[in-house]
Amino acid sequence: MTQPTRIGLEPLETIGHDTARIDAVERVTGAAQYTRDFKLPGMVYARVLRSPHPHARILSIDVSAALALPGVLDVITNDTSPIVWGSGCVSGGRQYNDPIKDATIHRRHIFNNPVRCVGDSVAAVAATDRNIAEAALELIEVEYEELPFVLEPEAALAEDAPRIWPEGNMCPDSRNEFEPMTSRIGDVEAGFAEADRIFEQRYETGFVHNAQMEPRCALATWEGDKLTLYTPSQGISNCRHDTARDLGLQDHQVRIVAQYMGGGFGNKNQNQDADLIAAELSRRIGRPVMLEYTRRDDWLGVHGRWPTVQEYRVGVKNDGAVTAMQMRGYSGMGPYRKNSGGISGMDYYACPNRLREIYPVYTNRTTSGNFRAPSDPHGVYGVESIMDDIAYEMGIDPVDFALRNMRRPTEEAQFTNYSLEEVITTGAEQFDWQARRRVQPGSDEGPLKRGAGFSFMMFRAGLGTSSAVVRVDSQGRYTLYVGVTDIGPGAKTTMGMIAAEALGVPLEQVEVVWGDTDRTPYSVGESGSRTTIMTGYAVVQAAENLKRQIADRGMPSGGDVLIGTATPVPSTDGLIRQCFAAHFVEVEVDMRMGTTRVLKYTAVHESGRIINPTTARDQIRGAAIQGIGQALHEDLLYDPRNGQPLSPGYYRGRHLTHQDIPDIDVTFIETDDGYGPFGAKTAGESGIILAPAAVANAVANATGTRMRSLPITRDKLLREVSA
Amino acid sequence: MRALSNHNASSIAGAVQAAARARAEGRIPAFSGGGTDLLQQVKDGTDPADVIINLRTVDEAREIEAGASGISIGGLATLTRLMDDAAVRARLPALAQAAESVGTPQIRNVATVAGNMTQRPWCWYYRNGFHCFKSGGDECFSVNGENGQHAIFGGGPSFIVHPSDIAPVLVAFEAIFQLAGPDGEREVPAAEFFVLPRVDPVKENVLGDAEMLARILVPSPAENTVSSYYKVMDRAAWTHAEIGVATVIQRDGNAVTDARVVLSGVAPIPWRLRAVEEFLAGRQITTEVAQEAGEMSISDAQPLAKNRHKLPMTSAAVERSIMELAAG
Repeated sequence: MTQPTRIGLEPLETIGHDTARIDAVERVTGAAQYTRDFKLPGMVYARVLRSPHPHARILSIDVSAALALPGVLDVITNDTSPIVWGSGCVSGGRQYNDPIKDATIHRRHIFNNPVRCVGDSVAAVAATDRNIAEAALELIEVEYEELPFVLEPEAALAEDAPRIWPEGNMCPDSRNEFEPMTSRIGDVEAGFAEADRIFEQRYETGFVHNAQMEPRCALATWEGDKLTLYTPSQGISNCRHDTARDLGLQDHQVRIVAQYMGGGFGNKNQNQDADLIAAELSRRIGRPVMLEYTRRDDWLGVHGRWPTVQEYRVGVKNDGAVTAMQMRGYSGMGPYRKNSGGISGMDYYACPNRLREIYPVYTNRTTSGNFRAPSDPHGVYGVESIMDDIAYEMGIDPVDFALRNMRRPTEEAQFTNYSLEEVITTGAEQFDWQARRRVQPGSDEGPLKRGAGFSFMMFRAGLGTSSAVVRVDSQGRYTLYVGVTDIGPGAKTTMGMIAAEALGVPLEQVEVVWGDTDRTPYSVGESGSRTTIMTGYAVVQAAENLKRQIADRGMPSGGDVLIGTATPVPSTDGLIRQCFAAHFVEVEVDMRMGTTRVLKYTAVHESGRIINPTTARDQIRGAAIQGIGQALHEDLLYDPRNGQPLSPGYYRGRHLTHQDIPDIDVTFIETDDGYGPFGAKTAGESGIILAPAAVANAVANATGTRMRSLPITRDKLLREVSA
Repeated sequence: MRALSNHNASSIAGAVQAAARARAEGRIPAFSGGGTDLLQQVKDGTDPADVIINLRTVDEAREIEAGASGISIGGLATLTRLMDDAAVRARLPALAQAAESVGTPQIRNVATVAGNMTQRPWCWYYRNGFHCFKSGGDECFSVNGENGQHAIFGGGPSFIVHPSDIAPVLVAFEAIFQLAGPDGEREVPAAEFFVLPRVDPVKENVLGDAEMLARILVPSPAENTVSSYYKVMDRAAWTHAEIGVATVIQRDGNAVTDARVVLSGVAPIPWRLRAVEEFLAGRQITTEVAQEAGEMSISDAQPLAKNRHKLPMTSAAVERSIMELAAG
């Protein structure tokens, strides 16, 4: 893999140099302990029974035969354990808000009745070994009364649709009202009146699972009234707080341990029902309980990105100025609202008249929730598809159309810095946009047609609060305590590098204590691209605090230590802080087979100062690969007659293999806007946002046919081009 | 709770005797070559087997032997072995190409030739536990459901597609399959090994209850024979053919004297295009001839609601397969 191109800043002492992960040896030798590697004395195993029906009322559950099986220690159901899983369904999808969780009307339990999708949890078994636990699941007799079901969000809003919740299928907002999420700027009707031409189009995007390697699991053990959970969580502080709330405990009564994990991508935010089920079983039987989800459990019992329908209307003047943008969207949330159901992308435009209405809707598909940039890639695909079509329709280069219409700083809304134009123009040049795009889409002769597409974005890089503690002893050894975990980006290494830089010592002199709520202070969590900025900034401040102490008192001697701490509440002084990116893609489409191959991929990002170029580059590449998968391959197909999922898992999902992955050239334009740790912004989510749009636009440019539904599979493509 | 037992067989004869004994006891045996798919199916509950006859402990039927009259391939040879075999690569290149296109290196290193050809369908209804024809039921859920990957030829009452890549090649080379059973061995031409669902809706081949595919004999192709396997997949590795074309052509100069064209991924059995074969015989390969062969290949197709895209794909795949062979 080639190193990223870097434009802008010179490296600092530690920051900005390609740095191997400080835990690389543990990882490759197998010494790193993942949750399933932990074994505690007396530990037993748990498994979950899941609904085979998309919607059914449980009339009775008979667990006697399961309990009678030798080796079975306990069987729990909603009758024994009516525990509310607070972050499993939140009004408005406001997942980090306690008062709204308390007020949420549609309460999700760890076991639900009625069950509302195939894969909804019904019961759990603990047994002395895994085989017995699995055998016991088959002995649980559940009598179901099957209920009518609905899979598609628009159908779910029909008057006569089966009701998944008593009030109907519209998800309640954070005030428990059933209104669409509406964002209105200017006067959209006036904007359309001003337009010379009006374009309309409808797009659909499929459900994509996070597909991280490690399915959810949890190991719970109690000492008195204190619970310890080993669990792959993307945010140990949130997980502790959520778990304590759900179990009626104080935060200090819960310890979360999560260091190494097999990826997350938003699948592991907060706490999960697995945590609560393991904790409940362990409490009841008085032994450590290891609950492991299978791949199928993970696919159908956790969540993925919400499928959407997006209807756009855009008004344009003959000179290419966009005067009005309107979108009505439907997001299929499954039967529980774990997140907003957002569809973003319109906000990248300066157009003064915009109206967006999004209907988050309950369906009897599996639950939707966090996935790397939860609201963005599908929305950008929709917006950029119609904008790309408009540009070609009006004979304008899509890059010029973007430069003409994109959001820029204004008097009222200023940015800490603004690089959108630079990432676009740099990308266009590096990619050789003019040579690769077809001015006349679909104009290549023969069945193998090439074309190029692009998309652009800005994404939040806001500041926020985390804590850090750094200690120095008389030997000059520094120990950093941060509540981070590593879902892949290498947070442990990043935090160590920031500390070393701020302290002015080599990285080798810093030990990082992480991933354990009993040993580390609050950290915001590995979600929302926040760890580097927020916890990283706390690390800088803790180091500054320690340096001041050293300056005042000298280095400690003997057994003494000095400890610096910080819980900063930073602000951007009223400025908007964003990261920026543009992606350019060239594809070749085999018009007779419907096969799309990505030939060239150029990603240009401004993510502030890059802490570790190696891992930052891999974040962009990994995210782009996921985005290509969303564009071309992944979906979760359901049988419309019986509501059964047909394509869970890696084989059916057709996720990209290494052989499918193109070279992805990454360029970082580096800046220091004076905010965040040494000017660092975000990189974790931003890389996925642009891939579906850029790939879809490249397919349109190659074929001359706009694909209005993701993923762009061969059956859809051949249907369109033969129509 | 289902009691599962394992029997480590030490010979082919011992393996089929063990299977027969299990049948006699009212149990359901399954031969496990590499076990790459079978064991997962047993775990998932989509295969009812409760006696695993482990063939990895069998020493025979693993060799690939080339002689003057042909190549003998042990049913327990791995796909890696098959694709690496010098004689196979030289004389039956289509077979090596097909073997190389299967799954992943990890799968090919343990998966066997016999197992590849007797693997169960990958229909998402069958694999997700629907009580369909293939699991002893009386319905094919694809007919009115999601049938984008289902059969356009030979379907009914079940519309599965046969997943093997090497099977159509062996049909095209007119291989002979040696089957071993408790009552001895028998030989079946490759094309007669596979059965349509209208003959047997449950099973995909003629194997008896305790019978296994022990060996394959591929007669030496005539002089001037060329062959290829052309495969289209939804990604570059680790999936089955959306369509595969096994083409074996005997030439005299640029004229075809004899042709075999057999498809995978579009029918419940390896699907031989006899009309195309007859059309090609005696013709010079030109762009027009290949194109006509491609168009002809779908004349009997009966698509379902969501698999029409397989028609143009089939035409294109057949056409390209012929053109590539002519060029090579």
